[in-house]
Amino acid sequence: MSRDNKPTAERKRRSASQWAVAWRRFKRSKTGVVGLIIVIAVVVMGIIGDFVAPYPAFPNPKALTPFYNNNVRTPPNSHYLLGTDVLGTDVLSDILHGTKYALYVGIVVTAITMAIAIIVGAIAGYFGGWVDNVLMRITEVFLVFPSLLFILVFVRVLTLGAGAGSSINFLGISIPIGLTIVVLVLAVFNWPGDARMIRGEFLRVRELEFVEAEKALGASNKRIIFRHILPNILSSIIVVASLTVAYAILMEAGVSFLGFGDVNTMTWGQILENNFSDARIVWWALLYPGLAILITVFGFNLLGDGLSDALNPRLRD
Amino acid sequence: MFRYIVRRLLYMIPVAIGISIIAFITMYAAGDPITLIKAGKPNVTEATIQALKTYYGLDKPIPVQYLTWLANILQLNFGKSLYGGQSVNLILGPRIWPTIELQLVSLLLAFAISIPIAVYSARKPYSKQDVTVTSFSLFGVSMPTFWFGIILIIIFSFTLGWLPSAGSQGAAGFVWWGNPFFDQIAHLILPVAVLVYVSLAQNIRLIRANMLEILRSDYVLAARASGLSERKVVYSYALRNAITPAITFLGIALGGMIAGAPMTEYVFSWPGLGRQYVTSTLGLDFPTIMGITMIITVMTLIANLIMDIVYVYIDPRVRIR
Repeated sequence: MSRDNKPTAERKRRSASQWAVAWRRFKRSKTGVVGLIIVIAVVVMGIIGDFVAPYPAFPNPKALTPFYNNNVRTPPNSHYLLGTDVLGTDVLSDILHGTKYALYVGIVVTAITMAIAIIVGAIAGYFGGWVDNVLMRITEVFLVFPSLLFILVFVRVLTLGAGAGSSINFLGISIPIGLTIVVLVLAVFNWPGDARMIRGEFLRVRELEFVEAEKALGASNKRIIFRHILPNILSSIIVVASLTVAYAILMEAGVSFLGFGDVNTMTWGQILENNFSDARIVWWALLYPGLAILITVFGFNLLGDGLSDALNPRLRD
Repeated sequence: MFRYIVRRLLYMIPVAIGISIIAFITMYAAGDPITLIKAGKPNVTEATIQALKTYYGLDKPIPVQYLTWLANILQLNFGKSLYGGQSVNLILGPRIWPTIELQLVSLLLAFAISIPIAVYSARKPYSKQDVTVTSFSLFGVSMPTFWFGIILIIIFSFTLGWLPSAGSQGAAGFVWWGNPFFDQIAHLILPVAVLVYVSLAQNIRLIRANMLEILRSDYVLAARASGLSERKVVYSYALRNAITPAITFLGIALGGMIAGAPMTEYVFSWPGLGRQYVTSTLGLDFPTIMGITMIITVMTLIANLIMDIVYVYIDPRVRIR
């Protein structure tokens, strides 16, 4: 009757085979595999970037401006493979040091977005009622309103207030506060869309027979939501998460480029901002960091598309 | 129809006021602008700050400030900029047209180009051509718009010298391509190229996905079975349904149009509202930010209404109540 009555071993085997099927389907999509390879490469870069970079990171590039060295605006050569920028730092090193920030932005925005979206989406989709009404109104406002504009206002106001230049130590890793503010604002403005999607999935699955069976068996709402419905929509969540990483990296780059970012953290967008005024000369300091953004975002988007083909043919867009 | 439009227009008033209240509160709750601006300039005296607050009416409680602002805006007076006290109307007015010009050209161009490409791509799914089109559009979605703009400037303005790199018209004494009209076009080409590529990519993905689904549906099969030409099936039966979501998208884009594309306008120093928004936000010029926000809100609401009316004509299932 209920799946719960089956022996644990069999349940495990069955769920494993479901993911094995998905993996087999995923492998068939060339774009998805390319995306996965790019994403793995970026993650590896994020981890080892600091160690393989030929030159150390400037701790505070703007503060070091008086120390303009002789290497300012050097075109690519054998010492500086991708040239140096207007501050005299090595562009290749900047890109490598910046990889970890891109991943930080992508992963943390996605984690926060998904956590809020799943909770709100589950409540709205499963119980309906006023939560559902409020969520739908909020997402409608977000859909018609250019959120970039509000993101800029919030980032600007918050970074002025907090000690945006400093960073905090967390388990031995120093986390820049300014960048974290950008991350939080992006997440706050991003969750409603995803919550709406998860709500839709909950609405769909809620009506299926197995949920009714669970209810008849007397399972609690909490159990039905987390043990039964959530695993069923996990595939959609994974796809959206992958696309959210791409979105977050792109948005952070834009916010930094417009001059709202954390000036003390050399993210890829920040490198572009620093060098934009000298675009006529330092094309290399603009081309390569942008390529890094493009390739990373492209990788996560490809991965998302591939996953959506493999896990959830219905959700393709 | 007329009664419907009137009712919708009346319904817009509370929505617009609601959004303005939310925007006003969030902005002013974040801190009063003068104190925030002062954070960066430590040697401003307390007396100066008090004088400034009185001048801009910031010493009054927030509800009073809001009502004053609302009363002014109903007379189309957007208030005074915190920078030099210039009228916000004078700041925003001349920037509206350049933004509309840029956005309208790009949106319509992108929409027109995307339909044939998406249809072509959807008719042969997973063929080489389709993979090319989908990768091209995924590339467009993954690209930082501002960076694409910079690269175009580096190539076409700085290296080749074919096109201007900034502004919406030639500086005094220098006109591109010999005549003011062509000069405008020369200035439009690069920013339009950037915006078209981005929205083209989004449109193609949207229309292609719908088209794929619809071409597999029963009514298309029925149309084919009754011997209609493939051309007729695709273009007049399937396409009509496939572009409906794209039209929604266009509606949202047209509404948001007035917000401009801040990044593109910034890169090309386009004298539009988007770039003004960036400048004002960097300077925390709240009255200007509020002004732009209200213009966007009203435009969005009107665009939504127009889209709802257009729907009646493209989708016979939609009825106006």
